[in-house]
Formats: sequence, C-alpha cells, structure tokens
Amino acid sequence: MGEYSLLIILFAPFLGAIALMFVPREEALLVRMTAAISAGISLLASFYIFLAYDTAKGGFQFVQRYVWSEELGIAFYLGVDGIGGPLVFASAILLFAGIFVSWHIKDRTKEFYMFLLILAAATIGVFMSLDLFFLYFFYEMSVLPMYLLLGLWGSHTKGYLGMTDPEGRKLRDSVGFIFNFGSNSKEYAAMKLVLFLSAGAVVALMGILLIYHLSGLHTFDIVVLREQAHFSDTVATLIWFLIFFGFASIAPIWPLHSWSPVGHAAAPAATSMLHAGVLMKLGHFSIIRVAFEILPDATREWMWVAAVLCVFSIVYGGLVSYFAKDTKYVIGYSSSSHMGYIFLGMAALSYISLSGAVIYMFAHALATSMLFAMAGWVYDQTHSRDIPSLGGLVEKMPFIAGAFIVACMASIGMPGTINFIAEVMIIVGSWEAYPFQVVVAVLGIVLTLAYMFKMMRGLFYGRLDPEYAHSADARHWVDRMPLLLLIVCSITLGIFPGHFYEVVRSTVEPMVDRINQVAPLITQNTQGLLP
Amino acid sequence: MTFQLDLSGADLLLLLPEIFLTLWLCLLLSLDFSLKRMTHQQLAYLSIAGLAVTGLILLGFDQTGTTGALFKNMFVLDRLGIFFKLIIVGATALILFISIDYVQDFKVFRGEYYVMVVMSAIGMMFMASSNDLLSVFVTLEFSTFGFYVLVAYLRDDLRSSEAGLKFFILGVFAAGLLAYGISLVYGETGTLIFSEMTNTPGSYGLAIGYILIFAALGFKIGAVPFHAWIPDTYQGAPTPVTAFLSIAPKAAALAILIRMFYVSLASFKPMWALLFVVASIFSMTYGNIVAIAQKNIKRLLAYSGIAQIGNIMIGLAAGTKQGSDAIMFFLLTYLFANLGAFAVIIAVSHVVKSDEIEDYNGLNRRSPFLAASMLLFLLSLAGVPPLAGFIGKIYLFIAAIKEELYTLLIVGLINIVISMYYYLIVVKKMYINEPTDSSPILASMPIKVAVYVGIAGTVLLGVYPGPFIDWAVSASLMFSNIAGPTAAASLLPGG
Repeated sequence: MGEYSLLIILFAPFLGAIALMFVPREEALLVRMTAAISAGISLLASFYIFLAYDTAKGGFQFVQRYVWSEELGIAFYLGVDGIGGPLVFASAILLFAGIFVSWHIKDRTKEFYMFLLILAAATIGVFMSLDLFFLYFFYEMSVLPMYLLLGLWGSHTKGYLGMTDPEGRKLRDSVGFIFNFGSNSKEYAAMKLVLFLSAGAVVALMGILLIYHLSGLHTFDIVVLREQAHFSDTVATLIWFLIFFGFASIAPIWPLHSWSPVGHAAAPAATSMLHAGVLMKLGHFSIIRVAFEILPDATREWMWVAAVLCVFSIVYGGLVSYFAKDTKYVIGYSSSSHMGYIFLGMAALSYISLSGAVIYMFAHALATSMLFAMAGWVYDQTHSRDIPSLGGLVEKMPFIAGAFIVACMASIGMPGTINFIAEVMIIVGSWEAYPFQVVVAVLGIVLTLAYMFKMMRGLFYGRLDPEYAHSADARHWVDRMPLLLLIVCSITLGIFPGHFYEVVRSTVEPMVDRINQVAPLITQNTQGLLP
Repeated sequence: MTFQLDLSGADLLLLLPEIFLTLWLCLLLSLDFSLKRMTHQQLAYLSIAGLAVTGLILLGFDQTGTTGALFKNMFVLDRLGIFFKLIIVGATALILFISIDYVQDFKVFRGEYYVMVVMSAIGMMFMASSNDLLSVFVTLEFSTFGFYVLVAYLRDDLRSSEAGLKFFILGVFAAGLLAYGISLVYGETGTLIFSEMTNTPGSYGLAIGYILIFAALGFKIGAVPFHAWIPDTYQGAPTPVTAFLSIAPKAAALAILIRMFYVSLASFKPMWALLFVVASIFSMTYGNIVAIAQKNIKRLLAYSGIAQIGNIMIGLAAGTKQGSDAIMFFLLTYLFANLGAFAVIIAVSHVVKSDEIEDYNGLNRRSPFLAASMLLFLLSLAGVPPLAGFIGKIYLFIAAIKEELYTLLIVGLINIVISMYYYLIVVKKMYINEPTDSSPILASMPIKVAVYVGIAGTVLLGVYPGPFIDWAVSASLMFSNIAGPTAAASLLPGG
C-alpha cells in the first residue's frame, strides 16, 4: 500500500468530489460526511508519507510513473521530496480542517464541497508532480475553483481598508482605481484573482515550454531535465525570469500582490484557509521545483532579485496590516508580508535559510489558516469584520478568543510553535548573505506583534457593542475540532521538530550544494560534503 | 485531360460511406413524403441511425486500414480523410439530436430540414476527401448549398433572413475567389491535383492564385479578415444550424487546407507559414477582444469561434506533422465543447425564448445540470485543465515552439488570459447572479444525450488523451516526411 500512498492522497478528494455529484442535495449531512471522509483518507495517507519519508535516502520517494503521452513527452509522474512531502501534509490538514470550518454553509452545500475538494486536490497535485506538464496542469486547475468559491460563497467588502479619500469617496485598490471598477464586490475580487493568476500562469507556461524545447530533450520530466538540461547563460536567465515572476505572482511577491488581500477578504473562511495556507505556497514551491532544480546557475546568479523584492513585501504588507480595519485584510496583508520571509530564506541559499523557508511554509499554513478560520467565525456571528466597531467578544466567545491568541502567538513566532523555529532559521541562515534584509525582517516581526495585538485587542477586549450580544462561542466539537487540530499540529511540531527538520534537510542540503557549486571543477569537493 | 470512369466494385467500396448516406437520404425523403403518420422525431432518429451506420463503416475502414484513390486522384480515401469524416459525421449526428426539440417551434416544418443537414454532411465528407482543386470547388459548393437553405430556415424571422442573405452573398463571393484562384493555379502549373504540383517553380500567378484560394477557405473557417459574416449569421440562424456551422464546415475546410498546403505547397513552407502566423494572431486577438463586449450568447460563441480558429491556425503556422496532429486533436476537443455549449443554449432558449447572456442569470438555481455542463464546456473552450481544450491548446503550443514561433506563442498565451474573462462572465451570470425567474429549466432527452456526449468527450479527452493523440498521429502519417523549416524555397520568382 505504501507505494500507492500518493495516488490515494491525490485521488481521494477527487473521488470525493465525483461521489458528491451523486449524493442528493437534500441530504446535507451525507454531503458533509462524504467530503469529510475523503479528506480524512487523504489526511491519514499524507501523515503516513510524512512519517515514512526516508530521511537517510532523501530524494524523490513514493514515486509513481505512468506514461501519459509518448508523442508529447508527458508522463503522469508523482513523487515527493523533503519539500513536497510536508506541504502535501499541510494541504491535507487544511482541507480536513476547512471542511469542518465550513460545516454550517447552507447555500448549495454540495457544490461548495465539490469545489473545495477539487481546489485542495489540485494544490496537492502540484506538490507531488515530477512532470512539468502536470505541475502546470494542477497549478492552473487550482485557480478556477477559487473563482467560484469566492464568487458564490464569498462576501462583499466594506470599502478598501475602510478608508476614504478627502472627498469622501471610498478608496479603491490600484487596478480598480485606474480602470474605475467597483472594487468592493466579491465578483470583482474573484475575477481579479483569476486574471492575475492566469496571467502569471501563462508567463510560467512560456518558461516551461522554453525549457521543453530549448533543452533539446522534448520532455517535461523534471528528473531528466534536472540531470541533462543545459542552457546558455542568456537563455537560462530569460527562462529563470519567466519562471520566477510567473510563479511569484501567486506567492505573491510585491508588486504582484494586489489580488491577494482582496481575494482573501472576499473568500469564505475555508477558502481563505486553503488560499493563504497552501495556494500561495504553490508559488514558492514551483519556483523551488522548477527554477532551483532545472536552472541552478541562473538561480545562484539572480536570486538576489527575490531578496530585494521581499523587503518591500515585508514592510509594505506589515504597514498595511497595521492600518487596515478589516480583520481579513489584516490577516491577508500579514500573509503577504510573511511570504517575504520565505523569499528571503530562499534567496539566501544556505542550508539553514532554505530549510527555514520550507518549514516556514508549513508553519505559516497552520497559523494563518487558524486566524482565517476564526475571523470567519467572528464574521458569521457578528456579520462584521470592522475591527473598530467590534470589541469585548471575549465574554461571548472565550474558546475562540483563547484559540485566537494562540494563533496570533504562532503567527508572531512565539517559542513553542513551529513558526518560531522557522523564523529563527531564516534569520540566522540569511544573516551572512543579506544582513540588511535580516534587520528588516526582525523589524517586521515587531510590526507583526503590533498589528496582531492591535487586532486581538480590537476584537476581543474593550467594550462589547450590544448589537453583538447574541454572538455565540464555538461549543460543538465540529467547530472546535479543526482549530484544535491546527493548534496541536503547530505546537507538537514546535516542540518536536526533529523528524520534520531531517525530512527537509535531506532534500535541501543536496539542492543548495548543487546550486552553489560554481563550476564543474569543484564537483568532487562538494560530493564529499553530500550526506 | 480525359476521365476514365471504369470503376470496379472494390473502387466503389471506398465510396461506401458516401453512397450509403446518399441512398439513405433518398429513403428519408421518400418516407417523409409517403408516410403521413411518420413524426418528425422518427425521421430524426432514422437520420441519426443512417449516420451511425456511416460512422461504423468509417471506423471499420480506419481499423482495416482501407485506403485508396479514385477518379484519377480526385477523391482520396486515406486515414486523414477518415478522421475528418468521422468528426463530420459525429457532429452531424449530435446536431440532429439537438435539433429535435428546436424544430418543434418551427411554424412550417417538413422533413427536408433533416435532409438538408444530412446532405450538407455528405458534401463535407467529400470535401474531406477531395484531392484536387476541381473537386475542392465542387464539394465546397455542394456542402454550402445545404447551408444556404438552413441558415435562412426561419422564414418569418428578419434576423434569420438577414443571416441567410449575408451568408449567401459572402459565400458566393468566396466561391468566385476560389474559382479565380483555381484558374490562376491551373494556368501556372497545368494540373489540378495536389500531389502533382509539388515541384512547380514559384511565380506571381501561383502566389496570387493560392492567396485567393486561402481567402475563399478563410471565409469557410471564419478567420480574420474573412470573418465578417460570422457574428450576424450565427446570431440569426436557427441555433442547431449555428452549431453545425461552427464545427463541421470548419473541419472540412481544414482538411482541404492541410492537404493543399502540406502536399502541394510543401516546398514553399516558410512563406505560407508566415501567412498563417499573421492570420492566427489577428483571429485570436480580434475574436477574443470583441467577444468581451457581446450581450448575446450566440454572438459570444461566434467570436470565440473566430478566436478558436486562430488557435487552430497555430498548428498550420507550425506547418509540421505535429502541427496537423495538434489541429486534428484540437478539432475533436472543440467538437465536444462547442456542440455541448450549443445544446445547453438550445435547452435554455427553449424555455426563455431568447439568447441573451442576461437570461443565464442564476441558471445554477434553475437547472444545476445545465449550468454545470455549460461550466465544463466554457472552461474547456477557455483551456482550463483537466478539460479537453487545455490539452488541445498545449498540443498546439508544443507544435509551435518546436518551430520556434515565439511571437505567435506569446500572443496565444496572452489570449488565454483575455478569453478567460468573457467565459467567466457567463459563468458568473450562471452561478453568482440570482435568477429573475426561478422556474426550473428541464432539458429533454435528446438534448441530454448531446450534453452527456459533450461532457464525456470533454472530460475524457482531458484526462486520458493518449489514445486520441495516437489516433491523430497515425491519421497523418503521410506527412511524416514533410519539408522541414530548412527547405526555404520561394513562392515568388527570384525571391
């Protein structure tokens, strides 16, 4: 069974979505249970691969390969390494938690769960694809369900950041401002998200097609391309930029981020969780999988671009979070800001920083999805996301308030959570290469502390508006379970990170060695360093 | 030139699908006039049965590898022809399914509607086999004849009459261009058969002649700048006829284009490849941008069809065997998605009696089945995985990048994003907007058949395209030695 676990993880949600088609729409509980069971199977199998990944051996494991089209050089080729494995695990956790978080959705439940399962399965597919075609296939496939999830079950936003210009008009975001679109509607957010991501995807597709053709191999097989593809410097640089900016648009790196907070704000809680938790990491992951593996020289030469842009991401995202008044904007922009840390860790290209970046992807997925889940709960209870008008909710929802504090702590990177380990590794590992950025990152943590506390105080402490006196706490196990699951994962891994770190290290170290070997002359030396 | 029409039985076998269908057509006509009790549904199912038998014969030919040429190479039955004939027969059968409901609303209706549809299909089957310029002209006009009647079938409807008139005038104009082009080419080469022209030296007459022929075929496939008739005709014609127009004549004309350019003009490839690059860029961009502004779903699909033809011409611009394979595979994907979309349109318009995009508001609440299938078809047209259209587009792009057509590729990729927008607008209306009238829309059985076939094709070709790709590859084996990009002969003297 072990060798088929990737197929199980990938196809359980897909089959769940197909099974849902045949479940009558009136049987709401059966619909939810079908979704939960398929996600549960996926979660168990991904937990298994996370534990069973052989850290001594490293490389791609649980490999499955089926030729799909000889003519085009495409194979359905699955496998996880120490980077893909944990992210598959994270996606499965978030999907499972997300299904329970959206337990109370009444409108078109069946369609909701179908799209959610397809979205999660597609992201899982990206994390385990060893074929560029399928990587793109799943990547593009994950975008469309987002449109429907946002458009159908999302909510309109009350003005961008809740700010107005001197003449009293609502401020719009940059794109909407130029083209004079209404930017507060969920339809706008959904369309913007899809167009941004599709545009990014086709840029990346251009890069992928260039790799396919100019390598002369006419295959999409990443393992073959990694060993045999050679490009001239100019070509490699061109492809690297296409791949980097194509995929970084989903990450999202400044200045390609503007779709993301709008999308977060409009999305229903479970979608925000998957979106911030794993969908955004598709960008970093695809850059690592494609650019780091196939274009190591260009990566070494040009990764400083990411180090420059991540400063803007961290500072800009952090400042907007501090001033934003809408809970989902705060969390959304804080995600954008935290994505900068991952880029910093990737740019520094040392063992510790890259491992830290990978662990941070996992850690951030847990922490942010908790925050979104609870922002969603507060919104469901109060129908408001406006921080100044809320307050004192701790009396009404002590459990949510407690969990929210834990999530904030995790987001800030308190010792005891996995985020702490990741942040420290990024900061320590990047110091040598980019000291200025590290200073900014540390200041960014202070900023995170500020806006998280501000949001926490605004939501849960202070005077309770009588309008919200009827709000209820999460009492049922269905509501508490997903939050507890996320908290337990975050803290357990924070206290016992050993296996996780070994898994990541087994992949990151050979990768960093391969990128940093400047010329074939020193190949022999570095080979001695390999584990 | 003298024709010897001494045909043996074995030769006639090659014509079996066409002969059978012609006889069947006569049977349908006589049944329609003689049996008063025959309902039009029965007539439709009888026509479908005839097409099914034809399809089976063609499949049998494909399996046994029956090939050959007749009438001094005017008619050639090869696997390429069989492939296109199967597409045409399949499309026609699906059209008949979606017509059954639609024709009920006709005030004056006789069985000749079905006869006209099948007759056009026979014409197009001959087109797929025509191997010289004379048979191109005859078969093209033969197939268009049926369409002239069908497009203007709604006699009392002004739009339909206008559509018929436009289609007729431009069609006749295209025929004139074609005839003139053929005469020029014949004057330069002294032959009409494609395979005998391969080694003619280039000349201005030949170049102008071929450009005229390309223009005439461009009218048929609706490529920019020969697209002007498309939107009005699509909007005015009865919807099943629009669906028919949107796929079958395009497939037949593409068969001719592929044969003509790949065989008789192989040595001039760099020149005509440029022609297709330009036509492709304009078709994709124009079709997609104008589609954004459309308010009528049939017009939207008309412009999207122009854009899709632009995509298809990427394969012709590549001018390789892989290019033609990609075109054939793309046509298959387009067949299922486009016909499926039209089936949904017919089901919806049967209830709401109009084709405005506004009428799709809240379709998901009125009919989850129709909305979900329309979603699949539109996303396949937009090229979203895991649906067929995505594989089709990637296949074309791969063919193009192997010929290093970077400009074309960049334009094609940008157009994917543009097209996403207007397809999603329809999705938004169906799923996000609330319906103004929430009465349910029920699809009848024949429509459901067409929709299910569409869904099955769209999904199957998307997740398991291997066998279909292999089929397309083996159907065009005759192009495996087509001239590479290095064979740079000039179509013009001294150029």
